Amino acid sequence: MLETFRLCWKVVEHHWMVYRKNLFANSSITISDPIFFTLAFGFGLGAYVQDVDGRSYLLFMAPGLAAGAALLTSFFECSYNTYFRLNFDGTFKAMLTSPIGISEIIFGELLWVALKGAFMTLIISFVLGIFGLIQWPFIWAVPLAGALVGVACGAIGLIATTRVKNIDQFQVVYSFLIAPIYFLSGMFFPIHAGQGWIFWLVQISPLYHGTRLVQSFLWQEDILKNSLMHFPALIVLTFGLGFFAYKGFKKKLQLI
Amino acid sequence: MRLGFDSKIMEKVVSAESLSLRYGSFTAVNQVSLEIQQGDCFGLLGPNGAGKSTFIRLLYGARLRDEGSLFVLGKDPEVSPRELKKKLGVVPQENCLDDNLTVEENLRIFGAYHGLYGEAFRARVIELLRFMSLEAKSTARVKQLSGGMQRRLTFVRALLHRPEFLILDEPTTGLDPAVRQLLWEKVHELNREGVTILLTTHYMEEAQKLCRNVAIMNEGRIASEGRPTELIEKHVPGFVAIFDRKSLGDKVSETELKKRSDLSYTLEPIQILLRASNLETLMGLAKEWGSEPLMIRPSNLEDVFLKIAGKDLDKYA
Repeated sequence: MLETFRLCWKVVEHHWMVYRKNLFANSSITISDPIFFTLAFGFGLGAYVQDVDGRSYLLFMAPGLAAGAALLTSFFECSYNTYFRLNFDGTFKAMLTSPIGISEIIFGELLWVALKGAFMTLIISFVLGIFGLIQWPFIWAVPLAGALVGVACGAIGLIATTRVKNIDQFQVVYSFLIAPIYFLSGMFFPIHAGQGWIFWLVQISPLYHGTRLVQSFLWQEDILKNSLMHFPALIVLTFGLGFFAYKGFKKKLQLI
Repeated sequence: MRLGFDSKIMEKVVSAESLSLRYGSFTAVNQVSLEIQQGDCFGLLGPNGAGKSTFIRLLYGARLRDEGSLFVLGKDPEVSPRELKKKLGVVPQENCLDDNLTVEENLRIFGAYHGLYGEAFRARVIELLRFMSLEAKSTARVKQLSGGMQRRLTFVRALLHRPEFLILDEPTTGLDPAVRQLLWEKVHELNREGVTILLTTHYMEEAQKLCRNVAIMNEGRIASEGRPTELIEKHVPGFVAIFDRKSLGDKVSETELKKRSDLSYTLEPIQILLRASNLETLMGLAKEWGSEPLMIRPSNLEDVFLKIAGKDLDKYA
């Protein structure tokens, strides 16, 4: 068990070693997107929009961007990057000649996106904080939600990686699954029970629950109630998606 | 004190019995039984797609068998792959190095997989880089290295943890003659130091130079097995005469050749290879055709290979 964890951690170390070689290029999309969303929607569009649920549009939108960063970083990691490791770089082939086994590779991928999700959510929150867009006291809780969103959306990436026939097909997954999850996360407009089907639909979106959690932490509002509602839902979704990703990707690795 | 049968098991580095693996309806490895003794340098020969790489992947647990039993270094790769892979090194067909990392970083991360760190490990890295004449390249990025250097680095990577058993999947394919010579020398040296080696190749020269025992694999089965000289003696004793096919024109008919029991042949697009156990048979035929052979030489492993696996090559002709 301890050795299994050690080996998962080595997979993470490997990915970090490669990632940091190109740190700026690799992290730019995750970090620049929220900044430009803040400028364009928050400052720009926000000036024409009335208050949302009692706060300015800019303050309303800010926490969601932090949660959304976890989705973007983890989905892109486990789709494009994992696809390259699987099909072009021979990363997994090499690992399988070492004591690392298939399970450790998969758990390593998910641990890596958990950390990336947590870290990106925290960084974005921090940047938003510098602009005065968040309440600081519960910022420490934000990475918990970021990690879970990271694993859930990383799992979606892994499932996509097992299914796509070529790398271009990831764009389809992005357009018809990831983008809707992102835009219907409760980040850009509040989603309430009264809205009918949208409300029921987003219950199966990990980012919706993640956004609600980060919002409650960074607005410092109904933290206990939201944690009790959204953490269990997010954990269930994360384990569910993780389970399917594990099953699918295991089959894939058995054939490399 | 060791029990007798225990050490007997350990003498066999690989012990496979009726091993089979199927991909859907395609049988990649078909009822393979094979033993490799400790200290051996064993060559697995066969054409592309014969099942060599799949067989090798079974050995370190990267594939799961459908049938049969398999023990490598006394362990079943499906039951305890991790313990097994601590004692076994693999040079895969593709290098699978991290292009953006340096030589030293590639080795450091792979050492970490094996739990190797610190002074002793750094000394080991330097020793191996020197062994493979790569010491000047330790800070270079892999993508800056030539193909031959990358291959040598892959060897270093496979040797970091001092494996007892080294698996080389087509170790010198696509390399220039100088690098091949160097690698052969190193393989020989490792084998002399007691490392058991299994290599796959379709260079018969390589097999004949390095391997004490070989098995020829074709369509997932072991077609023949033994010492290279034994295989030559068994399948193609004697000599080979090579004729220029063009200059013979239609003096040669395949139906005629088929009838002869004293020789075997391979029709290549530009050459005809005739094999016979005695020289007179070949000379007689040359006289009959009124054509000098381009060359007459003692038969070698390549002829065994062509005789056994070459039939399928006709499909592509």
